[in-house]
Amino acid sequence: MALNTTDCALLSMDEDFTLEDYAGGIPRWCTGCGDNAVLAAFQRLCRDEQLPREKVVFVSGIGCSGRFPHYMNSYGFHGLHGRALPVAEGIKIRRPDLHVFVNTGDGDCCSIGTAHWIHAIRYNMDMTVVMHDNHTYGLTKHQVSPTSPTGLMTNTTPYGAPLTPLDPLSVTLAATNVSFVAQVVDWIPEILYQTVSLAFHHRGFSYIQVLQRCPEYLPDFFDPWMQHPERIVLLTHPDGIQPTASLSRTYPNRQEHDPRDLLRAREIAAGNDNIPVGIFYRNSQVPRYEDLRKADRLYTPDEIKKSFEEELDRFTIWPAEEHEHAVS
Amino acid sequence: MQSRELLRFYLTGERPTGAESDLEGMRPALLAPFRDLSSLRYDYPLLLREGDDSLTVTLSDLFDDILKQVAPPGPAGERLRRHILRLEQRIRSRVAAGESDTLSQLWRTAAQDLIGESNKEEAKLLKESLDKARAALAVDGQVVDCDERLALTFVEHAWLAFSQRQAEKVRQEIDTLMLRLSNILKADTARSRSGLAADKLAESVGASYRRHFDFDAWSRLITGRGTGALGPHRHRRIETILAVLDTQRFFPGGKKKPYAFRFESCANAAATFRKRVPEMLELVKAMTVARLEIDNRYREDRHDAYFQNFDESSPTPEDLVGFPTYLVCLRGEELTDTEAAQLIEILGSSLPIKVLVESDDVLGTSPIGDVRWSRGMVGGQLGNLALGLGEAFVMQSTTSGLARMEQAVVAGLSHPGPSLFNVFSGATRHGSELPPYLSSAAAMQSRAFPLFTYDPGAGDDWVERFRVDGNPHEEDDWPVEELSYEDENLRRITEEARFTLVDFAACDARHAHHFLPVPRSSWSDDMAPAWLFLDGEAPPGKVPYVLVATVDNELQRLVVDSELIEAGRRCRRRWRSLQELGGIHNSHALRLLESERARWEDEKAQELKELAATGTATAVIKTERQVEDLQPSPRVEDEPAAMEEDLPRTDEPYIETERCTTCDECTALNSRMFAYDDNKQASIADLTAGTYREMVEAAEACQVAIIHPGKPWNPDEPDLPQLIERAAAFN
Repeated sequence: MALNTTDCALLSMDEDFTLEDYAGGIPRWCTGCGDNAVLAAFQRLCRDEQLPREKVVFVSGIGCSGRFPHYMNSYGFHGLHGRALPVAEGIKIRRPDLHVFVNTGDGDCCSIGTAHWIHAIRYNMDMTVVMHDNHTYGLTKHQVSPTSPTGLMTNTTPYGAPLTPLDPLSVTLAATNVSFVAQVVDWIPEILYQTVSLAFHHRGFSYIQVLQRCPEYLPDFFDPWMQHPERIVLLTHPDGIQPTASLSRTYPNRQEHDPRDLLRAREIAAGNDNIPVGIFYRNSQVPRYEDLRKADRLYTPDEIKKSFEEELDRFTIWPAEEHEHAVS
Repeated sequence: MQSRELLRFYLTGERPTGAESDLEGMRPALLAPFRDLSSLRYDYPLLLREGDDSLTVTLSDLFDDILKQVAPPGPAGERLRRHILRLEQRIRSRVAAGESDTLSQLWRTAAQDLIGESNKEEAKLLKESLDKARAALAVDGQVVDCDERLALTFVEHAWLAFSQRQAEKVRQEIDTLMLRLSNILKADTARSRSGLAADKLAESVGASYRRHFDFDAWSRLITGRGTGALGPHRHRRIETILAVLDTQRFFPGGKKKPYAFRFESCANAAATFRKRVPEMLELVKAMTVARLEIDNRYREDRHDAYFQNFDESSPTPEDLVGFPTYLVCLRGEELTDTEAAQLIEILGSSLPIKVLVESDDVLGTSPIGDVRWSRGMVGGQLGNLALGLGEAFVMQSTTSGLARMEQAVVAGLSHPGPSLFNVFSGATRHGSELPPYLSSAAAMQSRAFPLFTYDPGAGDDWVERFRVDGNPHEEDDWPVEELSYEDENLRRITEEARFTLVDFAACDARHAHHFLPVPRSSWSDDMAPAWLFLDGEAPPGKVPYVLVATVDNELQRLVVDSELIEAGRRCRRRWRSLQELGGIHNSHALRLLESERARWEDEKAQELKELAATGTATAVIKTERQVEDLQPSPRVEDEPAAMEEDLPRTDEPYIETERCTTCDECTALNSRMFAYDDNKQASIADLTAGTYREMVEAAEACQVAIIHPGKPWNPDEPDLPQLIERAAAFN
């Protein structure tokens, strides 16, 4: 929405935030971990959007990515394993004015938190969700995750992972009310930032899958794609990501994809050996749960208290004498 | 009647001796089929819907909708359809007879009438049908016909509905702001020393458990931490804002009675607006500060000075959107010179004043006299004049077209500046026998009162702002219609007819002296349709005529005098100006097109000439080159030369910073040599702070291989040959 002159004048008087203003504790992730790139992208987003820190909340579950809120100088909630999304939904429904971000991993989201993940897509509440997918349980020193490739030797699969990995993109694109799906890799910061920015501006549940390196347990896993940039397919569109000329030279393999085309998005997700990055799907028309449940007006604390007490009174068992007193 | 007599009348207006000049009962032939409007289903009567998003619905559309809901298609629904349409017809007749009431009331009385007029058995069936239809009726409101009251009722209805919707939105925002501000004060009180006093703490604990607490101790313990963080300035500021919001009079719901915004004169509306400006500014300021306070964005060191100087020049028109607009309703015929001057002043200003000017007469005389059919300012001239002012919204319509102008009216009400609704009612009291609907429709058809809208907020140019597309046959000078009649041998004749200003004047008895009725026996080839005279030079030796129908529906020719023909030509010129503004036959565009076409043809001719001179081979090469020009630009990856050019050609070490993934490898190796920039991406901060070895090791550690070590900068560093060899993979 265009701002009028008064709004601009007032904005010019606002506090000017730098990237450092959003930096919390010093990250304890391993050197070379892809989480660092994601953290930098979000700190940059907050700076570029000049988000007041008290209006930002990062929610996480358990895993390496779970430490994300500690490193943001904003509100944060480091929650239970797999439960980042219900916590984020609770925050959003009660405080729709907050910018809600969620960090979850391939174990947190696709294993113990799967039920919440599917329903969070269906609720389509306005939040940006990053699924940090390094194909392993790194925090607990390398156990198999739902996205670990078949045959991967881990502490829990010493003879190789027997199952075909789950495809989170296809699952998300198949869920009811899906409204924003993107995939990026942590080693292309330009695309990572563009995607994060588009996801932030999408009103609804924005799901970004970040394929990222685990330098400790799967240090070479993504080498085939990192050393052969032509195996990365940039999904470009005027409504999607638009790589700069220099990036296009590094990543020459481009494919025009209209983010409104859900069927094509599913085909690309089902894909092949190349890694497609960019916006798979976007639909701003999907209704948001917080809008559907929005109160017709703001209620005063007294009104809330009154209705709350009326509701509780229905279940109260009054002590005999007090009940008589209350009746009289 | 001799041809010479007709020619003399045409040229001089001199009537042959004994010739009639009475047009009583006559009407233009194209209007002859519409003697009884109440038997037709058309745009009127109109229901002004109450409390609905859509402002109006025509009675016929409303009944069609009911029929769709309750009457099954085919014979099964036939009786229902017949009964329900009878009711619609009865309501239509009652409204045409002057009855004005709500739809529910009209429905009730019309249904009672119909049932009362039927025999017992029929009455029972009729009642069943009408009850079914009534159950499907979901809307109510005033039913209005196309008459002299329509424009006022219509615009006022739209204005009230629009204002109410706007006011509700702002009211809701004010309520929300007040509640949030009160919450800030309450939170501050709760955290203050008195809010943390023992008695307050006791209130916060259920009665059953109070005895378990030592509230004094508790209070002592936490009072030391109580901050009462607002401070006296902020506290006072919030209280002041709350007082302003609570006592404002622009929106209902405050402590004081809200202001009225309906006025009878422009002067009153403008003066009242000016008088209320300080209060309005106070409210705008209070709401702006309230939003800042709630978002915790108010900084006394920056905002105090800004709001101290907040005056009339501070708010933009957008800041005032949502504030009530002022409605002024004027009768065109009663417009005094002073009022007209005020009106022009207002339309040239940016005041949110909406003016309806309703005129009953567009063929009247002007204050400067009836000189060659001059017209007064009231009517079409006023609309044209307002167009020239540039920033006022202007809608011009006849009442016949008003039913289809709902969106334009809403656009005019939404426009932040002044708006003019210039409407011709058709209720001419000067010798016209036509009902207002037909009279106003005839004014639109004949271009005497064309329909247009000019919305300055719709875009930056006339293409976006100006529309004439509601007029009949807007591409043509005059609307072309088919006229069918029977000749003396009862054969059906169909011919093309144009409805012009001359035809429209034939509806008005005041202008009978411009017409000479010619008996059929005197019709001859020396007579030609009047529109031929309006569209260019008069056909030589001919006299113009228009076709009218008598009371008995017999065709009659009226010869027209040259004075009226001249008025018709002027009308056509005015209409063409509007067409041009609306992008139809625009002379600038046509001229440009013509010159571009000529230029293109010259170029092609020159090229052909060159081809002829240089031979075919060159021509083929040129054509291929032209085809190449049309191809999309090659993809960047197809341009290795360009890629090479962009990369630094140097032995200096460098980092492709924009590709850095912030992985900490290099900064962990040497945080003085490598550092992050504003986007937290690495670059070389100080080359001298590290060794070539460290540079090479960083390049090897970098996950995305964006560190290029270049050549060593210190020739005394040990193991340089090995290091240069290791660095080669990254340079």
